[in-house]
Amino acid sequence: MSEETREMFPKDSNKTYGLMALVKGTSPMVEKGPRDTVMSWPHLLILEVLAALGTTVLLLFWSLAVKAPLREIANPEVTENPAKAAWYFLSLQELLLHMHPALAGLFIPGLVIILLILIPYIDRSKKDIGIWFASAKGRAIALWSAVYTAVWLTGLILFDEFVRVRSLVSEPEILPGWIIPILVIGGLVTLLYLLIRRWHPTTREVIMGLFSAFVVTYFVLTISALFFRGLGMHLTWPWDLPPGAMPF
Amino acid sequence: MRTTEVPRGQGDKKSYLWDKIRQSSPWRSLFRQGYPNTDENRALVMFNTFFLHIHPVNVKRHSLKISYTWGLGVISFFLLLVLVGTGAWLMFFYVPSVERAYTDMQNLETAVTFGILMRGMHRWAAHLMVVAVFLHMCRVFYTGSYKHPREFNWVIGVSLWVLTLLLSFTGYLLPWDQLSYWAITVSANIVGSFPFIGEEIRLLLLGASEAGQQALIRFYTLHIAIFPVVMTLLLGVHFWRIRKDGGLSSPQESTENEPRGAAQ
Repeated sequence: MSEETREMFPKDSNKTYGLMALVKGTSPMVEKGPRDTVMSWPHLLILEVLAALGTTVLLLFWSLAVKAPLREIANPEVTENPAKAAWYFLSLQELLLHMHPALAGLFIPGLVIILLILIPYIDRSKKDIGIWFASAKGRAIALWSAVYTAVWLTGLILFDEFVRVRSLVSEPEILPGWIIPILVIGGLVTLLYLLIRRWHPTTREVIMGLFSAFVVTYFVLTISALFFRGLGMHLTWPWDLPPGAMPF
Repeated sequence: MRTTEVPRGQGDKKSYLWDKIRQSSPWRSLFRQGYPNTDENRALVMFNTFFLHIHPVNVKRHSLKISYTWGLGVISFFLLLVLVGTGAWLMFFYVPSVERAYTDMQNLETAVTFGILMRGMHRWAAHLMVVAVFLHMCRVFYTGSYKHPREFNWVIGVSLWVLTLLLSFTGYLLPWDQLSYWAITVSANIVGSFPFIGEEIRLLLLGASEAGQQALIRFYTLHIAIFPVVMTLLLGVHFWRIRKDGGLSSPQESTENEPRGAAQ
């Protein structure tokens, strides 16, 4: 890379001897591989400065181009339709359309956060640290799980809009509110797990499949609620959204 | 410093003055080592400088690869700094009262120099930070960087993600326009539907049965004081643990060992 990392006495393959030197050190250099570190100054700091500058430039031009939104003054008498949460909570608002609010707003997000926290205590192997997706198999599982989740979710959203679970089963409330959503989610996650098992995956690869399902769920639900929900939070095309439907 | 033959003239005087400044006691009291152009000074600058001392002297080449980290952690932290800066500036022009909040926003857009720009930067940096922190979490997950000994730093990281969402959410109410009012009403109603103590939490959050002055001052206090302090603390621990856990993860740490425990 630069002067200080260049090998001083490169080995000549035509010679049977190598140059060696006695050096002062604080510990024996047995079984220590070649140095693969560089000084933080300048190698790390220059990258940090570049990241900060790049972010500043992007943010500055974005803020110059797009004004932060400011609607009319808050008025409890005039209900916004649709009334949307901030975009990063829209996935929860989308869930809310399909099940009991406590399930959508408390139990599912709570369970997701607990599971996220538990990941390092479930996957305790020390294999393949620092390698994206661990292996080609891991990459395939992550990708496949993402496609599986996106297809199922899109299907479920369309089903609940045009067929409506509640028009099939509305009584008692516990069925469309709790039991059916839990069975559908539990069933789809179990099916996903069984399908991933066909790869004979490691624990990490199983978790990777499930994590991809979580990321894609967050993404698809957010997109659906952000771009495809109009009056009364009914499905519509992005170009047919009523004015002010985008929470920006 | 290396001495080179410089022809007498302007340049010479300049470098003479420069040397004098750098040998003066005020300068040397400020910078405890010379310019970091030798390995010794490059190490010393990390030890001696408060703002650099969270860095190690040496970093693994692997952790500098852009395609490994995409710089997402640094970008998230930098966005937080921008948010603190623009946020403090916005506080000069904003009073969290139902009567004044919205008018203050309008004044910010019409009467305050750079008001639109500063508010825009605060708003968009907040959105960007939510994205950057989430992507950072995905990066750490997909590279298996949560593994031993970094388990607890992953837990702190998940907490920081949740805290980022809460900070963004509490800021959302402050402009007191229709967008913020109805977003908070919708969210508070979700909380109110939780079994057993939902209604109590909703009351605690809003301070009243409906979003009003009490809710505004609560969200404001959470947004500018409580959550930022918690964020600072957790972030301090997050950074500190990166160092204590041996810097960023790298494939060198991998072992083929099956789950630890039996071996130890």
